[in-house]
Amino acid sequence: MLQKKVCMLGSFAVGKTSLVRQFVESIYSDVYQTTVGVKIDKKNVNVGEKETTLVLWDIYGEDDYQKMRWTYLRGASGYLLVADGTRKATLEKAVSLEERVRKEVGAIPFVLVINKSDLIRDWELDPALESQLAAQGWSILHASAKTGEGVEESFSLLTRKMLG
Amino acid sequence: MPDVLQEFPMEMGFALFEYCGDGNFLPIAQLPDWFSEIWAGAGNASGPIPLSQQSPFLENFLLEAEEFWNSHASAACQSETWIEKSVSGREIPVQAKALFLGGKRILVLFSPDSQFREQVRILQTARNALLDHERLAREIQKKEILLHCIVHDLSQPLSVMHVAMDSLSQESISERSKQFLTLGKHASDQQETMIRQILQAFSDDLRASLDAGTEGNSSSDLLECARKSMISLGLTFDAKGVRVAVSPSVDLKAKWPVVAEDSRLQRIFSNLLENALRYTPAGRRVTIGVEDEGDFLKAYVDDEGPGLPQDLRPEQIFGLFMKGKQGGGKAGLGLYFCRITVERWGGSIGCVTLPVKGSRFWFRLPRSADNMATHAPNARDASDLTGTKRKPIPIRPLRILLADDQEDIRTLTAYQLKRSGHKVVVARDGIHALKAFHSASFDVALLDQEMPGMTGDEVARAIRTAEQGKKKRVFLVASTGNTTSEDAGRLKQAGFDEVLGKPFRLEDLNLILSYFPGAEPAVKTPAPPSPQEGATLAELTARVGGDEKLLKRMIHTFLRDIPKRVTGIASVIRRKDPEALASLAHALKGSVSIFGAETARKRCQELQELGRSGELSAAVEIFGALKEEIAKLQANLRGYANQTPARLKSSHAKRQGPPRNRGKRRR
Repeated sequence: MLQKKVCMLGSFAVGKTSLVRQFVESIYSDVYQTTVGVKIDKKNVNVGEKETTLVLWDIYGEDDYQKMRWTYLRGASGYLLVADGTRKATLEKAVSLEERVRKEVGAIPFVLVINKSDLIRDWELDPALESQLAAQGWSILHASAKTGEGVEESFSLLTRKMLG
Repeated sequence: MPDVLQEFPMEMGFALFEYCGDGNFLPIAQLPDWFSEIWAGAGNASGPIPLSQQSPFLENFLLEAEEFWNSHASAACQSETWIEKSVSGREIPVQAKALFLGGKRILVLFSPDSQFREQVRILQTARNALLDHERLAREIQKKEILLHCIVHDLSQPLSVMHVAMDSLSQESISERSKQFLTLGKHASDQQETMIRQILQAFSDDLRASLDAGTEGNSSSDLLECARKSMISLGLTFDAKGVRVAVSPSVDLKAKWPVVAEDSRLQRIFSNLLENALRYTPAGRRVTIGVEDEGDFLKAYVDDEGPGLPQDLRPEQIFGLFMKGKQGGGKAGLGLYFCRITVERWGGSIGCVTLPVKGSRFWFRLPRSADNMATHAPNARDASDLTGTKRKPIPIRPLRILLADDQEDIRTLTAYQLKRSGHKVVVARDGIHALKAFHSASFDVALLDQEMPGMTGDEVARAIRTAEQGKKKRVFLVASTGNTTSEDAGRLKQAGFDEVLGKPFRLEDLNLILSYFPGAEPAVKTPAPPSPQEGATLAELTARVGGDEKLLKRMIHTFLRDIPKRVTGIASVIRRKDPEALASLAHALKGSVSIFGAETARKRCQELQELGRSGELSAAVEIFGALKEEIAKLQANLRGYANQTPARLKSSHAKRQGPPRNRGKRRR
């Protein structure tokens, strides 16, 4: 079976672990538990009649305390870039992470997932920036790790992009 | 491998391997329990273990390790922590280290359990603190936005009301109309005071202020507030040719009591009506309705516009800084204000596209047990009903650039300025203001602060930059609702000379214009001195021993400094600084006394006493009266300064009879 390494990237507390847990185990917890280190999960997906195993690298959110090791991206077929719709700075962080990934490992498929769509009324993202990124060819999806909305679609879209 | 075992004793839980090549690792000693818990099969093997096949993380790390071993570097190569799951589902932290010992390539795996938990605890605390900080920052921002809503949005219509009523008062109208006008002025004054009180309450403690609205079991009548908002916006709707009406299905005689507070509920209706008006074409209708939903009452505003934008979800429309793409609101705050206020009262809000055409904005609020709506208390005492007649200050015609994106304010202010003899060029935004500045010469530029394209600050900076190296300098006046001392400092930095606080009255505008250094009336302007507004010129001349030059210098100095001194007093009153007030009022008292302005002197005395007592509640009112007296004195002194001796002689003879010091002056 085809295996694809997928990295979860984004600022801290944007919901990377929650998205993986929702996707793999259909579980969600409201309690924020920070990720220290790396957690790896696997899930089989069927996209276009091809069964693929996604090896999901849930990497700690980068902040002042923990810096990303770019060696984790070695062998990655794609990545899910995660931002929190209620925290504007996390989208800016996502934009800078994308630039750095492109610089470190080249242009590989990615999908920007703006998480916490269940709190959309508290979103503080600039729609203009979102439109601008979409115009640059970014694939952007809104999702909620809490309700599951958009989660499956995000991973499926990334898989389709990775499979070309 | 005795030296390896000494370095990494088994009892510490290390799993030790020697690298055999091709991804295979030979265990050096018995593997610890945690290793077998994760990799049960591998843990029981007796020969070399292909570790890279056991874990994707190890596979990745071993590539680094192999590079390290091949490089023969002296330092060890260590991984960060990663989490493996045991067969039973327990999460076990693991770290790996590659090193050379005794010339052999050694891999050490260990589980830093207690150390890892401590690291998690510290990072969790730090990140929670960061999230709390972000939340707090957002709360502060929300508070600032609410302040902005009140200062800006509520003050704008007041400016129009003040100027409109000032304009009316200058028309020939019947006595009965004058009475109505007085009532109207009083009501607008009341509203201004209420806004200031609300502003104060918000700035003191936003939450306490908002909670007070519900804790006090405050109740409002939904339909009554809707009607009041409709009436207040009636002219605006007329101007656009859009009809606004209550739905015929509404029981107009019924009570519609909800948990709310009148002024804010009216504000919600006004925002929804303004929003509906923006999207409704001329000739169409906006309908307000209320419905009974048991424990809740629902209100709605239907428009006949294009419906909701397809790229926005209904919830997003009520978000912060959300503006429609066509004809959107000014700052994207109105609907946000509606949402947070309705939710504070325990209600909900939303919007839908209507099946045939248009959209419906609705909100529901808990039904109030109290059937009698309570109304906001009148902020002013009845004693304030008596409005003092304010006289415009005579100033020479000026070339004025007026920029404001609010059409009603622009039109009325321009009307007033033209009526006063000034030449006015209007600009609807900052960009047009700057273009106008470059295409003509102006004495004064009156710039609104919040304009699309370029703010007043930006225009002011651009003007000051353009003026560099030139002799001529335009007198810049900022028109703004934000008049704190910090705002004043910021505006000054941007290049403004004066600040005209919104809402402003006609005399405020004239007073500000009189500060323009070249605003003194021409020699032809008749001087209006009267005995009760200060000493006559003859008396003043006598006070300085007949030295007219000295008197002129004194007048000049007084006129030059008085704006700053008045602003200084305003500032200390705003800051509630009694000592500074006493000191400044005392100093000004001396100056106005020199010119015989008895009423102004008394007002200064009163302010000085308030300052000494520390009780400043009446300071604003007395200061208002003082400013009027100062304005009269300024007008008189300008008149004196421009009088020729001959003119002085004739005017003096007409007004005062024979001067007491004629002989002295002749000498």
